[in-house]
Amino acid sequence: MRRSHLVSLILVVVFTAASLAGVLSAGWTPVLGVQLQGGVEVVLRPADEVSDEQFERAIEIIRNRVDAIGVAEPDITRQGTQVVIQLPGVKDKQRAVDLIGQTAELRFRPVLQMFDPTDPEQLSAIEEAMDQGQDGDIGNEASLSDVLTPPQEDDVSAMVALLGSSGQTGFVLAPAALTGEVIEEAAATFQGQWIVNVSFNDEGALLFDQMAAANYGRQVAIVLDGVVESAPTINAEEFNGQAVISGSFDEAEAKNLALVLKFGALPVEFERDDVRTVSATLGEGTLRAGIIAGLVGLALVGAYMLLYYRLLGLVAICSLATSGAILWSIVAWLGESRGLALTLAGATGIVVSIGVQVDSNIVYYERIKEEVRRGRAVRSAADGSFRAAFSTIIWADLASLIGAGVLYQLTTGTVRGFALYLGITTLIDLFVSFFFMRPLVILVARRLVGERPGRLGVSNMAGGVIR
Amino acid sequence: MNFSLKAMYRGENSWDFVGVSRRVLMGSAIAVLVCVAAIFIRGLNLGIEFEGGGVWEIPALSEVTTDDIRDAASDVGMGDARVQRISGGEAIFRVRGEPAASESAESVVSALAKAAGVDSETISTRTVSPSFGDEVAGKARRALVVFLILIALYLTLRFEWKMALGALIAVAHDIAFTVGIYAIFQFETSPATVVAFLTIMGYSLYDTIVVFDRVKDNERSLSAKSRMTYPDLANVSLNQVVMRSVNTSITSVLPVLSLLIVGSFILGASSLQEFAIALLVGLLVGSYSSLFVAMPIVSELKNRESHWAEQQRSVEVLGTSNAIEDAAAVLAADRYDRSSPPRPRKKGRKR
Repeated sequence: MRRSHLVSLILVVVFTAASLAGVLSAGWTPVLGVQLQGGVEVVLRPADEVSDEQFERAIEIIRNRVDAIGVAEPDITRQGTQVVIQLPGVKDKQRAVDLIGQTAELRFRPVLQMFDPTDPEQLSAIEEAMDQGQDGDIGNEASLSDVLTPPQEDDVSAMVALLGSSGQTGFVLAPAALTGEVIEEAAATFQGQWIVNVSFNDEGALLFDQMAAANYGRQVAIVLDGVVESAPTINAEEFNGQAVISGSFDEAEAKNLALVLKFGALPVEFERDDVRTVSATLGEGTLRAGIIAGLVGLALVGAYMLLYYRLLGLVAICSLATSGAILWSIVAWLGESRGLALTLAGATGIVVSIGVQVDSNIVYYERIKEEVRRGRAVRSAADGSFRAAFSTIIWADLASLIGAGVLYQLTTGTVRGFALYLGITTLIDLFVSFFFMRPLVILVARRLVGERPGRLGVSNMAGGVIR
Repeated sequence: MNFSLKAMYRGENSWDFVGVSRRVLMGSAIAVLVCVAAIFIRGLNLGIEFEGGGVWEIPALSEVTTDDIRDAASDVGMGDARVQRISGGEAIFRVRGEPAASESAESVVSALAKAAGVDSETISTRTVSPSFGDEVAGKARRALVVFLILIALYLTLRFEWKMALGALIAVAHDIAFTVGIYAIFQFETSPATVVAFLTIMGYSLYDTIVVFDRVKDNERSLSAKSRMTYPDLANVSLNQVVMRSVNTSITSVLPVLSLLIVGSFILGASSLQEFAIALLVGLLVGSYSSLFVAMPIVSELKNRESHWAEQQRSVEVLGTSNAIEDAAAVLAADRYDRSSPPRPRKKGRKR
């Protein structure tokens, strides 16, 4: 046995064991998709044509809302003209669905008071003032979440407590004086400093002037979807439909504010293309069924390979185990670092890939058997057949990779999840075939089989070709 | 042509694949025609992802009947809802329909929960807008076209266009057959099923490539003086890979079968079923078509090339048709003796 084979075998085993141990000790486990643990999956599509910028902004808003709900592993991705939102394990499903699909609104709210969200004394005072003795928990220490207005109570006509976009400042705000639809245009320009010009339509001009007159010298908050984006001070009583917002903006801040205002003028409305809620029991049932079915399938395949290929069958089982360990590490890593969940389609892709993985073994073994039948010694057959077998494996796997790549690029949702795992398992298959299966087969052929091919399931050497 | 498992196991099988191909192809063509007719006449039973509407899965108390659930469904404006009891351990009902526009998502769920005697949290729902399916189908169609073009290019570059054509015909055969089964038995077609159809194409191609690869490999190892005809070459190659095909089919089918039987029938996870039926059918047809559709077509095409036609004629003039065993021997001799000078002919080579 050439030293390089032994080295490659050891390296793969060490690498696999190390990555598995690393993943396990870090406590990473695969993130399960909605269909496997229950939760909510929503596919949204803008009702009208929107610009790329606006679309991204709308997705950003959805992200903020999901963060506010507090889901452990949300997955929000833009796929072409759709947004796919997956909230595995979310508790109040109907509320989550309602919240996500809402249209974000821009509101101008006069600022009544500002506060430091980290100061418990201020928080208690504000809670008292806002509750006006409604519920009896006065005197208790108020936490930030008690004080802030939850998204479902953030009404145009209500007094609310919200945070600024940085999260550093809290605002107590009056009912909205006007909303974003009245904005006609907003743009950031540089005139000695960065400023934002806003123009209103006739109705907006009137409303804005009313607000300015009532709140002269005070701040007005520009609130997009429950976040105070900016809170400029009103320095005039009459604007006639043209306002200039200035401050110590840098270029990025000014442009961002202009974008917020423009978005407010033309909020992206979403249509719910596909809404799925999966109860936790159903999700767990599917997961359990999938795992049991997968294990039974694996056991059957293992048994068949052992029966047919004897010792080589054992090699096939070891290859499968190695692939499985690598796959587990990758799936856990993807879940941890990318928040990418293992979906039902993905899991099915993996079960399906067992066939492809085992096939690489079969292609190689059949070649070996053929050569042995022609009278070649087992060890030289094992060495010699790999080239031809691996070439077949590469070309066939390449077709799978092309398929996976096309599907991943051009489709969404279910099909895409499937393609991803098909691609991953195919790559693992190539890796394991070359660096693990081959050296192990050669090792087995040399050490354990010797010249007794019966151990490989080649029953009769004399039954060769030349008769 | 002797069929014996033992011979197969020992690699002594010598079947005349190409010889029977005309009849087999005829049978395949008829089967495909029936399937295509079924697709056009019966149509597919499309899932809500393609048609829009809603589906509710309701775990229920054991005394609840289908009628109870149906009554609850018609109360929320789903008089024409399809109510099914899904087999499995516990009673799970599946309702498919389109609730009245006046009903909110919550009111539908709570009405069904009340009828089933369970908490509304335990109900799984899915509602899909009618336009969604068009989008899914459109994307799948586009992906399919791109995929086929790329594969055709790939096979042409790697092998030759005749093989690309053979492979694509085999793939079309597999897809038509599988989709036809769905039309005939009216299984529900969902995006999951589309995934399965696409996987089948992948499998079928994979299988076909393994066969082609072997044929090419054998063709390369033929010496210039060899008189072998293309059908003989194809036959030998097919015999060499048939055990691989059978074994791979078995090891691929076992997990899928387990998914179907253990997962969806015994444990009642109906969502696994959508994939598994299509995969099962497709896998079997895919292995079949690589051996009996793709290669015979290529063989037919190749035999018209001047070189191979010449070979065919000289064999016919000599009046000796190669037995497959002999062809295999020729091939084996050519393969291993390429580097050495020509040797005296062996016993058993009849030319």
